[in-house]
Amino acid sequence: MEAASAFQNYLQSALETFGIEADEEERAVMAGVWSIYEPGMELLRDVDLDGVQHERRPDLSKAPEG
Amino acid sequence: MSGLDQALRDQAAGIASGELDPGELLDECLARIEERNPELNAVVATFPEESRRMLEEAPAGPLRGVPVMIKDEWPLPWRAETVGAASVPGVQLKPGESGPYRALRDAGAVLAGVANMHELGSSSTGNTSVYGAAHNPWDLARCPGGSSSGPGAAVAGGLVAGAVGADGLGSVRYPAAYCGLTGLKPTFGRSAMEGHHIANTETIVSGPLCRDAADCRLLASVLFGEELPAAVPRALRIGVIRDPFWEDSAPGVLEACEAALESLRGEVDGEVVEVELPDQDLILPAALLVAQSEEVAHLTPANVNALSPELGLINRSVLKLRAIVPATLTARAFLVRAQVRRNLAELFERVDLLAWPTVPAVAPPLTEPVVELPSGPASADAANARHGVLANLTGVPGVSIPVGLDDGMPVALQLLGAWGSDALLLDAAEALERATDREFVELRPAALA
Repeated sequence: MEAASAFQNYLQSALETFGIEADEEERAVMAGVWSIYEPGMELLRDVDLDGVQHERRPDLSKAPEG
Repeated sequence: MSGLDQALRDQAAGIASGELDPGELLDECLARIEERNPELNAVVATFPEESRRMLEEAPAGPLRGVPVMIKDEWPLPWRAETVGAASVPGVQLKPGESGPYRALRDAGAVLAGVANMHELGSSSTGNTSVYGAAHNPWDLARCPGGSSSGPGAAVAGGLVAGAVGADGLGSVRYPAAYCGLTGLKPTFGRSAMEGHHIANTETIVSGPLCRDAADCRLLASVLFGEELPAAVPRALRIGVIRDPFWEDSAPGVLEACEAALESLRGEVDGEVVEVELPDQDLILPAALLVAQSEEVAHLTPANVNALSPELGLINRSVLKLRAIVPATLTARAFLVRAQVRRNLAELFERVDLLAWPTVPAVAPPLTEPVVELPSGPASADAANARHGVLANLTGVPGVSIPVGLDDGMPVALQLLGAWGSDALLLDAAEALERATDREFVELRPAALA
């Protein structure tokens, strides 16, 4: 419940900050969609990636270099 | 057997040898669209004059005179794509010569129509489109799969023997799986893509949906602009990641895929190797964010506030949600992509293929796209994406192969290979067809049998 509440707070403030209009039905869909993917997004937010190097000019048609 | 019911390659051979009249074949195709499309809604536009002009001007290519379809995701010289939507935010869609159109035209193919798709390509179900949903020929009340819903329904429904779809997060493989077809997601960058409205994409590719692997090879060769040679694979090392792909698939899907895996292993005198891929739980969120980053530049407040009311509620809402996703998450998604690509490259040093069910459960109802998995009920989109997005996040090719039925609906096994191994995947698919006496690629929906 805490996470859902945090998301609702973020949603409310972000929509207002960016001036994006959304009715109650749309907000409910946003919350529903977010709830499906939220665990993965939280993991992505929190996982330690400090040692991971970006690919320089990645070419998705090939295996990464190095 | 009607010429239209023959394989793509047999139609091409029949026309080349004079046994089939391509004009009659096109007429038969257009008549069949008229007859069956009211139920299937697989085709959103036909243009008999343009089709006949393509036939008159068809060069002596590998598909000369053969009718095919293309997903509503590329422009044609006489028609702008609509992407299954009333509008695409921030993008003006115009008629033009797209890469897939040119590839088909130069191969001598005849476009018989434009195939339906899930609105904005945003779902694996195909249950929403500005034209209304396409229907699964195996059960008209079920999802045909998306987002290449029309190509899947058109080929499974016998309207054409081959169609070009697009796969951004699994969108060729899901409808191939739901409709009992073979579908190839090529290695990123190998297949024709010019003219796609997301010009900067690093996830979307064009790919064929056909009744079997040999037809996919033919249509893929046309889209690649190079022949994909066939070979008999031997001693393949087939990697299996049990958790979650196998363990959390529906029992009927698991059973059919296990049997297919064993058939393939036996046919190629190979071995099945239990493997792991690190960072499994990060792959789905990373893929979703990388893919959405390709379109988000157009999601300004002005554009999303002006979204057409004809756009579906889910897409209207999700587009607004996408506009406010924190940039930090997206940046981290690209870091994860780098790490997953390195991990996958290491894995493909040890195995030739990875195998798991294309989708963890068969096609759900159009009206309620929820699937029942061992872990509980799940949104079909979330469940399918877990199985499909790795290929798009990393660029590797994947193929979906029909391997049985569950509850009367098609089940499919997915094989992934290293970058550039598209031909090997089709070789493996053909090996599986041999091992099963083509039982599953010859299955047809009861209404068409």
